[in-house]
Order: sequence, then structure tokens, then C-alpha cells
Amino acid sequence: MEDFLQHIDTLTINFALGAVIMPLLAAIVNRCLPANSKPSGWISTLAILVSAVLSIFVFAKVWNQHEVHQQQVWFTIGNTSVYTGILLNNLSVLMLVLVSLVALPVHIYSTAYMKDDDRYGRYFVYLSFFCFSMLALVVVDNLVLFYAFWELVGFSSYLLIGFWYTKPKAIIANKKAFIMNRIGDIGLLTAIAILFASYHTFDIEQLFGANGVVKSAAISSNWQYVACIGLFLAVAAKSAQFPLHTWLPDAMEGPTSISALIHAATMVAAGVFLLGRFYPVFTHDELTILAIIGCFTAFMAATIALTQNDLKRILAYSTISQLGYMVMAMGIGAYSSSLFHLATHAFFKCLLFLVAGIVIHEVQHMKDEYNLHIDPQNILYMGGLRKKMPLTFIASVVGGLALFGFPLTSGYLSKDGILIQSFEWAEGKDWLHKLIPIGALLTSWLTAFYIARLVIKVFFGEFKAAQFDPAIKLHVSDGKWQYRVPLVLLMGCSLFPLFSINPILYEKAWIFNGFSVITALDRVNIYHTILPLLVNLVGVIVMYWAYAIYIKEKALPLPESGFLFRFSYREWYFDKIYQKVIVLPVIALSKFTRWFDRNILDGFIHLLAKIGIGGSKIAEWCDRYLIDGFLHLLASITLGIGNFARRFQNGKVQYYLFSMLAIILAVFIFKILIY
Amino acid sequence: MISLSDFLIVSAGLFCIGLFVTLTKRNAIQILIGIELMLNAAILNLIAFGKYDRFTNSGQTFALFAIVLAAATTAVALAIILNVYKKYKTIDPDKTDQLKD
Repeated sequence: MEDFLQHIDTLTINFALGAVIMPLLAAIVNRCLPANSKPSGWISTLAILVSAVLSIFVFAKVWNQHEVHQQQVWFTIGNTSVYTGILLNNLSVLMLVLVSLVALPVHIYSTAYMKDDDRYGRYFVYLSFFCFSMLALVVVDNLVLFYAFWELVGFSSYLLIGFWYTKPKAIIANKKAFIMNRIGDIGLLTAIAILFASYHTFDIEQLFGANGVVKSAAISSNWQYVACIGLFLAVAAKSAQFPLHTWLPDAMEGPTSISALIHAATMVAAGVFLLGRFYPVFTHDELTILAIIGCFTAFMAATIALTQNDLKRILAYSTISQLGYMVMAMGIGAYSSSLFHLATHAFFKCLLFLVAGIVIHEVQHMKDEYNLHIDPQNILYMGGLRKKMPLTFIASVVGGLALFGFPLTSGYLSKDGILIQSFEWAEGKDWLHKLIPIGALLTSWLTAFYIARLVIKVFFGEFKAAQFDPAIKLHVSDGKWQYRVPLVLLMGCSLFPLFSINPILYEKAWIFNGFSVITALDRVNIYHTILPLLVNLVGVIVMYWAYAIYIKEKALPLPESGFLFRFSYREWYFDKIYQKVIVLPVIALSKFTRWFDRNILDGFIHLLAKIGIGGSKIAEWCDRYLIDGFLHLLASITLGIGNFARRFQNGKVQYYLFSMLAIILAVFIFKILIY
Repeated sequence: MISLSDFLIVSAGLFCIGLFVTLTKRNAIQILIGIELMLNAAILNLIAFGKYDRFTNSGQTFALFAIVLAAATTAVALAIILNVYKKYKTIDPDKTDQLKD
């Protein structure tokens, strides 16, 4: 029976393996080519295309059927064998197909977007390497390998944020991202170590599977808390949750296509994927804490996005906010909705970022042409691009509506699912628990406002930069087919038909049902009708309000000099607080340790050295003046005797004679004296 | 009557004068004279002690031999001094301190 099953599964496993290996091959080939080689773009694109096709095949084989798990012994230490292999279940095949499908349009887009870069080939090395790491991360069945690929996606993200390494801001940003992710990695490593110590296996299937040991045997509670804190840190760092979220907005210094793939669609979702993998570890109370943090992050990031002027920064905070939704959904037990939102968000956020990339690209061209002194990412200088870039405009509207969760879009299905389930979760609990669904609801309206603000400022009204130079003619366009095709593809994926035949009921979506086993919330019918209506009605009003403010120039709801405005504009002062509370003390500590090292430790060593030198100086003195001195004394005595004796041998006959006389006289005198 | 000690005193005085001359003079001839004086002091001693041998007169005989030998050595010494003078153009013994050619 087992042999038979394995025979069928071998093909699936090989296909999954192929999907993972293809980008790695592309990365290796591109690495061998020169840094600016033009074919590398198409090599990488071809590789990811093959990956996508293979992933879809694997997906069709595995989704909602028995899971495929194949492994073999990797190494053995003592009596413990560590296995390595591939685990394909609903979660991993969903991620597999999602990552390769989002990566494909981004690759096509990148071939045009990075065209003029000197390190075009190197860019595709990194991009393919990232795809490999991410695809491997989702299919591995082993916590050690999981950790390894977790690090590799972080590493490739680091490489790509700092891709334009001549920009100081990019270097600071990638250092920040790397260090913050390091904090999360420590947490994940701790959690893995505790899990291994408790259950003596790294196998994800054995740990968290249907009959997993985590469910049947609990760890002692203290270690369980430590493991969960570690896991939470890992999630917070990778998925940019409070308090480790500040690296993501800065990560926008990388190329926009990278922001679209890594920092919006896939890598940042790895934290949520981690939650999905490790879900059985968390206890009820810890899930509540997750929900609180997710909700807070969602709300905070949405308020910050309200006032930002940098196009990509708005989208970055929007990403943080949406990731907050996903974490919150995990926390309230809406496991399937969380992963559903992960999937839909990947498509529409990627779409929005690609739109942003095109807009920035075009504005940059105008800036270069007319020598304008404007920041090409600042939405205050944009406006009126609607007529010149119709496709981009439509794409942004589709993406924006999906982000807000407007009916007929994919976002509606996933996000309203989360909202409704959060209300169901809070049903019958005290008012503190009710804050979470209310926060989520408020966030959804804030989302409506900031995305409307973004679209209106960029695409409606007049081109603001024209006020610097009236001669400016707005000639921008949607760009080449490499820009248009990804937009159309992703627009298609942002609408409802891909996810559900019924555009209204999220419960009919196939992704939702793919994970329905875990969901166990009581259905409260009334929320299912009232909430979507409420959300959308108020949301539309908010959008119109934004239109009224920015186009018809009504008064702003908050004065720009007010505290709340500045609080939001300065991103809740998180960076400043971290700078003061963490970075400066750490620097001070390291300065102190440096001082300690230099003065105390080195001083001690130097003291020893000086003592050694002093001792040897004494020894040298002894050698020179005592030992040598004795020898010199002997020598000089000998010399003196020699000189004295030499005087008698002077060749003068009379002198010899006198000497003889003197000696004889001396002998006689001596004789007389003795006798 | 002249006693033995008178002879010995004269002899000792002669020897001292000869010795002094030999040690202090800067002239080879004068040194030779000094040597002769010391030799004569010795001969004088031979003769003085010869009065205790009245039968064989060996003291006087030995003195005669010594005088003849002294004359011979003086001749040889003078010849050497003459050759030294030829070679060094001086007969100061302090300055003739090189034996090699």
C-alpha cells in the first residue's frame, strides 16, 4: 500500500522539487554571466514560468486531497536521525502556487523596469535566488531547513533592499531590515530549539500534523511561553508587526518591483505562513494576544498611512496594516480567512506596487527631462495622470478597491471574512474583547480614506509639478507591454472569479473551504449581512469625502499643524523612540564595552607586557654589568699585567742590565730582611 | 801594610763605577770601558785573594788569563761597534735596537 502511494506521489514530489530548483538554476546561470548581461532577465523569467506551471500542476494534484510527504534521512547524531524532505499539504501548495504566480508578473515587469540599470544581471540573480528561497521555505518539512530558508529569504531581501548600494539611505535601510529580522530569527531559533528539546523531532508533519505530538502532549508552561514569545518575535520581524515593524517602510528604498514581490506579496507574508505552520503550538490566551497585536498594528499603520506623502511609504504602511489583519485573523481563530487574505492581498498589493512603480518611473522621466527639483515618489507633485495612463489608472482603482474590500473584488471576500469572524469571536465576551473587531472596522474605513487619497492625488486633478514650470507638457504613458501584461494579469487575479463564484459570500470561496477544518466559530447570521453593508456604505462615503477634500478643496479634517496630524506624519514617533530608547543605549553600551576592552582588558595585557619588558631590562642590566663586567674585569687585569710585562721588553740593552741589577739587589735585600 | 779589605773596597768601588758607567752612558765605547772597569775589579779580587795561595799562585795565573781574554774580547767588541756604526751611523745602544737586515 505504501509503495503504491509513493509511486503516485513521486511525480508530484519531483514536480514540486523542480518548481523549487528552477529559480536556483537561473540564479546560478545568471551569476556566471556578466553583471549587466541582458539575457539574464529572460532566463529568470523562463525559470519562474516553469516553476509556476509545475506549481499549478502540483497544486491540482494535492489541493483538498491527501497530503504528500516524502523524506529521507539527512544525518544522524547519536540515536537521533534528522530527516529532510518535502511536505505538500493545502497550506504549502497554496503558498507554492501563490509565490510563483505573483513572481511571474514581477519578473516580466522587472525586465522593463530595471532595463537601464548597470547591474541588470545581478538584480535577476538576487531575484531568482529569493524565489528559490521562498519556494523552498514553503515546501520543506523540517524545522532546520525551514529556519535555513527563513534566513535565506531575509538575506535576499537584505541584498535587494540595498541593491542601489550607492544610496546611503538604501544602505541604512537594509542594515535596519537585517538587524530587525535578526531579532526575529533569534526568536525562531529559540522556539525550534525548545520544540526539539520537548518532542525530539524537527519534522513539521510529526509536530503539527493531524496527529501531531504538539496537540497530544503539552510542554511545561514556562518553556511554552518562551517558545511562543520567540515565534511571535519571528512573526513580528518578518511580517512587520508592532513592535518590529519599522524596517518595512524604510525597505522601500529598494527597486519598486522588489517592494512589490518581497515587501508586499510574499516574504512579509512568511510570518503569517509561519503562524499557519506552527498554529497548534499557541494556546488560547496567546492567540488572544496575537489578535490584540495584529489589530493594533493594523490600526496604527493605517493611521500613519493617512498622512504620508511618499507613494511607496503609503503602500508600505498599508502592507503593515493588512498583515496586521492577517495576524489578527490568526489570533481570533479565523485561520482560513487569514490565509485567504494572504493570498488575495499578495495579488492586489503587488498590483498596487507595480502601479506605483510605473508612476514613479514616468515622473522620474519627466523630472529628468525638465530638470525639476522634485521627489519622484512624492504624491504632492503628482496629479492628473488619469488621462495619460488609463490602464495604470484602472489598475490602481482595482487594486485600491480590492485593498479596501469593495464587493466584486477579491479583497471583499477575504477582508470581510476577517471582519465578520472577528465580530463573531467577540460575541458574548466583555467590552475589552469587543475593541478588536471595532478596531478592525475603523481600520477598514481608514484604509478607504488613505487609498482614496493616494489614487486621487496621483490620478485626479492637475499635474502639480506643472506649477514650477508652466511649459511642462504631461507626456506619460502606460509604458511597454512588459508593464501592461503584469498589470492585466494581476488585475484579473484581484477580482472575485479567481477565488469564488459567488462574489458576495466569502464562505463559498474555495481557499476558505480548503482550510475550513480548523475554523470553529459560531456563525452569527446577522453580522454576515449587516457588516459588509456597513463597511461598504461608510467606506464609499469616506472615499467621496476624500475626493471632496482633495479635489474640491474642502477643509482638512485635521489641521496640518495639529498634534494628531504630526503624530501620524511622524509615524507615531516609533523611529525616534527606538532611536532614543534602544539604539542610543545600545551604542552607549557598545562604546562602554569598547572602552572597557581598550582600557581595562587591554590595559591589563599592556601591564603584563610592561612587567615582562621591565623584567627583561633588569636581566639585560645584570647581563651587561655583572656577568660581562666580571669578564671585562678579567680581561683588563690580564691586559694590565701584559702591559706591565711588556714595558721590560723594550729592546734596550742597558735597561735589561738595569733590570737584572735591580732583581739581584731585590733578592739580596730580601735575603737580608729574612735572615 | 795594606790589608785584604782595602783591596776589596777598591775593587767594590771599581765595580760600582764600572756598573754605573755601563748602565748610564749613551756611547758604546764608554760602555765598553765600564765593562773593562768591572772586569778589572774582578781581576783585582783574584789577585787580592791570591796571597792565600803562595805555592801555586793560581790567583795571579787566573788574573793573567783574564787580562788576555779581556783584551781579546775588547778587540771583538770594538770590531762589533765599528760594524754597528757602519750600519746605523750611531753607536748609541738605545738606538741600535734592530737586529734584522
